[in-house]
Amino acid sequence: MDDVAVSRFGPVALLVAFAQKVDLESLARCRGLLSSFQENRLEGLVDVTPAYCSLLLEFDDPEHASDQFDRVNQLLKAARALPVEEAPVFEIPVCYDGPDLEEFARRNTLSVSNVIELHTAPVYSVFLIGFSPGFPYLGPLDVRLHAPRLDHPRPRVSAGSVAIGGEHTGIYSIASPGGWWLLGRTNAEIFSAEKARDGGSADAFLLRQGDCVKFLPVEELFH
Amino acid sequence: MDSETPVLEVLAAGAGMTIQDLGRSGWKRFGIPPGGAMDLESARQANLLVGNKAGAPVVELLFTGAKFLVLSSSELAIAGAEVECEWPTWRNFHVEPGSEISFGPLRAGVWSYLAVRGGFAAPRWFGSASANPRAGFGEPVQPGARLSCEKRLPAEEISSRFVPELVREEYGQTPVLRVWPGPEWDGFTEEARREFLGQTWRVSSQSDRAGYRLEGIALESRLRMPSAPVVVGAIQIPPNGQPIVLLRDGPTVGGYPRLAILDASRVSRFTQCAPGTCVRFALA
Repeated sequence: MDDVAVSRFGPVALLVAFAQKVDLESLARCRGLLSSFQENRLEGLVDVTPAYCSLLLEFDDPEHASDQFDRVNQLLKAARALPVEEAPVFEIPVCYDGPDLEEFARRNTLSVSNVIELHTAPVYSVFLIGFSPGFPYLGPLDVRLHAPRLDHPRPRVSAGSVAIGGEHTGIYSIASPGGWWLLGRTNAEIFSAEKARDGGSADAFLLRQGDCVKFLPVEELFH
Repeated sequence: MDSETPVLEVLAAGAGMTIQDLGRSGWKRFGIPPGGAMDLESARQANLLVGNKAGAPVVELLFTGAKFLVLSSSELAIAGAEVECEWPTWRNFHVEPGSEISFGPLRAGVWSYLAVRGGFAAPRWFGSASANPRAGFGEPVQPGARLSCEKRLPAEEISSRFVPELVREEYGQTPVLRVWPGPEWDGFTEEARREFLGQTWRVSSQSDRAGYRLEGIALESRLRMPSAPVVVGAIQIPPNGQPIVLLRDGPTVGGYPRLAILDASRVSRFTQCAPGTCVRFALA
């Protein structure tokens, strides 16, 4: 892979920068790197955190972080982008009754029904899982729905809230503070703490990076 | 002693009480923070004092006000914040049923750790007993709860152990903590970097296990970036210019520029900086 660089991130971590802008190509590059670091074990590696344009490798001590620098560089050269092919599409029901829906429509000079149409039209890709347990960052988002984060983040946003922040849309996986525009809510279980019990399993998360999501507008959510 | 026999009954939970250990790793790519004791060093020490492995589950206490009734004879140790207690701190001690353990006035620090020989019995999530109620990993320990031992260990008392004062952290003084330049260090103005290192920051009351906010002269922060990876100890500068130091239950990615990274070995000391007290940073 070309145009990818590794740098120190404090004494125990290495940061891999792989893209300048967020698009399906950056997602493919991220997936390719992640798979390379899963197939080729790095000594002392304890955690990997992928994000939009960079990926973090955390080691158990500074010696391992230093020793593995060259090896990481070798792996970066050999890695290949992994475009999303035939990803599962998760259909997620959304009741569009969020507290910010009307103001959001106003500020983007759209009608509420336009917002719902534009938001439900595409099949989104999960660009990354992060921020809170299982929280999916979805995109690309129609440019007419872009909106800067709220000036005053809410101290508590309910789990299942479907929201827009910046150039992305997402689903709050647990109740947490949040600064995104709340458009609606879903009853899909994005994260299950019960499936995290004991050693835990990846089944605790509904979605993976690279999966696809389609929102289905519904009048009412059935439990 | 049977491992099901409760050791302690919680009479008062104080400002906040949870079960913690050294946390979990390997799940950040799914948004799971590491968790674990805020002051990992003190939690480790408390465990070692009662002959446990460093990562056995301990009780983490916020500030003070906690009170326990001893239900069965056991070996305990308390480490962490400088808090008044009728039992010795930073050394193991033996208790018999009917005794009480209460935490009085707090002199300095934030977090205290109570370890029992055999470790406290606790469920695990992703391999760790670290409670994170927001994520659905357990609940805060409530008054009336009965805490049991996880492992049955030889009943006889273990030899006396202590942590000498010389090697303990001093929580009453303003610490100067080592930081490393973060990925966006060069994107800040020279003035902002100088202000960050030059001033004394005050810890805000808007602080919790996810992160501490700092208050001081605002730093100019104009960088905009897509969400990027963060670590425990990452120092972000939001648009209002007041730093946020991310801690054990914090997010795994963040959209604010990362000015600096607190040295991993100084995170424990930083977490003991109480709201209203001060901290300074020095470049490694």
